[in-house]
Amino acid sequence: MFEFDFMRHAFVGAAVVSVLAGTVGWFLMLRRQAFAAHALSHIGFSGAAGAVWLGFPPLSGMVAFSLMAGFVIGAEREGERGVPAQRDSTIGLVLAASLGLGAWFLHMSNRGSSLATTLLFGDVLGIDVPTLEALCGVAVLCLGLLAFLGRRLLFASLAPEVARARGVPARLVSVVFMAVAALACAACAEVAGALLAFSLMIGPAATTLKLGLGPLAGIAVSVGLALGLSWGGLMLSWVTDAPVPFWIGLGAALSYALADLWRRFRSP
Amino acid sequence: MAENKRVCCQPERGLVLRDVTLTAGSTCVLRDASLTVPLSGMTLLSGRNGAGKSTLLRAMLGLIPLQAGEILTHGLPPTQARQHIGYMPQSVTDAALLLPAVSHVRAAVDGVRWGLPLRLRARREESDRLLALTGASAFAHRPLGLLSGGERQRVGLAQALAGSPDLLLLDEPLAALDQAGQERTVRLLRDLTERLGIGIVLTSHETEVLSGVVTRVVQLADGGLHVRV
Repeated sequence: MFEFDFMRHAFVGAAVVSVLAGTVGWFLMLRRQAFAAHALSHIGFSGAAGAVWLGFPPLSGMVAFSLMAGFVIGAEREGERGVPAQRDSTIGLVLAASLGLGAWFLHMSNRGSSLATTLLFGDVLGIDVPTLEALCGVAVLCLGLLAFLGRRLLFASLAPEVARARGVPARLVSVVFMAVAALACAACAEVAGALLAFSLMIGPAATTLKLGLGPLAGIAVSVGLALGLSWGGLMLSWVTDAPVPFWIGLGAALSYALADLWRRFRSP
Repeated sequence: MAENKRVCCQPERGLVLRDVTLTAGSTCVLRDASLTVPLSGMTLLSGRNGAGKSTLLRAMLGLIPLQAGEILTHGLPPTQARQHIGYMPQSVTDAALLLPAVSHVRAAVDGVRWGLPLRLRARREESDRLLALTGASAFAHRPLGLLSGGERQRVGLAQALAGSPDLLLLDEPLAALDQAGQERTVRLLRDLTERLGIGIVLTSHETEVLSGVVTRVVQLADGGLHVRV
């Protein structure tokens, strides 16, 4: 299968996105922001539809829309105990507004159902070199920002009030992290589609957290699992002809179920 | 300028409130309140439910702005003083309950810096020391969510001790503990003040278990503060 350019591109693209999804997803799950991951990738869908309507590459629209939404979600004022009091409401309404816009963009672009299918389910086998370069750029930027946030992000995620009490600028950390998450969701959507982008973000991270691993080991295992899911999905898709997102979604759920079983088996 | 110099070079030890007005929502916690009190040993901040004890602790850390006046802790305003203060909120973290307790403490040890953790060994040794200090070593590698309330509190205390503070602010550390748990916690706190030479300010309704242990009581009532030794 590696004799074809499109397969080689797909494997490289999936690897880049997996490293990003495994890392960012771990922090998203730690911060209980699975809904944000879900919303950001759907919001990216609307942006991609808008970009297509205006004649730009879909990835640029995904990045722009997800980034704007990330800033809005991340900038929400924190409540008494360091956690935004109306986080889910804010995310839900930003999602609703952007999906409405997405429907309008699709209508205006006049390429309704075929475009929607591509954006919703992804087109990992259609990744070209410029898209691959763009994905690498996004990944380097995101991982660089995460490395910079590093210790403060972890502290603010685990003990938000204590971190603020010691002078950690929790709101700034939250805004920058949501921007990183938005970029990562857009990149994942390019491979797995808007509907299943968050399966790569959430599946491996949730599985890892279930295993009770600490941060360093947890992120490493999360990245490894994401890589296993995306490459496994590509290979199984090659063999069975079923879509890649099908295998990724199924694999994510299965790995979580196995981790849950392992946990139950080990617990007294 | 002269005032700044005095604060900078000859800090007054203890807690100083000057004409402080502090509100929480529609409740007036303090109205033009002034007070000077040392913070050595254990100080109990008492008051009825909803009087604003937690709000005052948060104001000392600069998490809540004052409407008027100033608060100085060991001669420093809140944003500077908090570098020397450890804090344990009323509800010890309920985030990431599947992560081992030690990870929560390690995050607090170097969590005030940007970037990635580089000195992993030093961080590990420091978190082990803090967990030993609070008697939490035995369950440090168990997931936080599987610990009892008292055990979680010991992990929270280890977090609060990160950064070697000379003052601990503990919000209701005895709440949700049974009698035996309260007595163990009080013994641990007294031990910490003696071994580390740090001051502790705590809020609590459990005055019985604290009697004979606290150095002074600061009563918060009717928008003012009153000290009993």
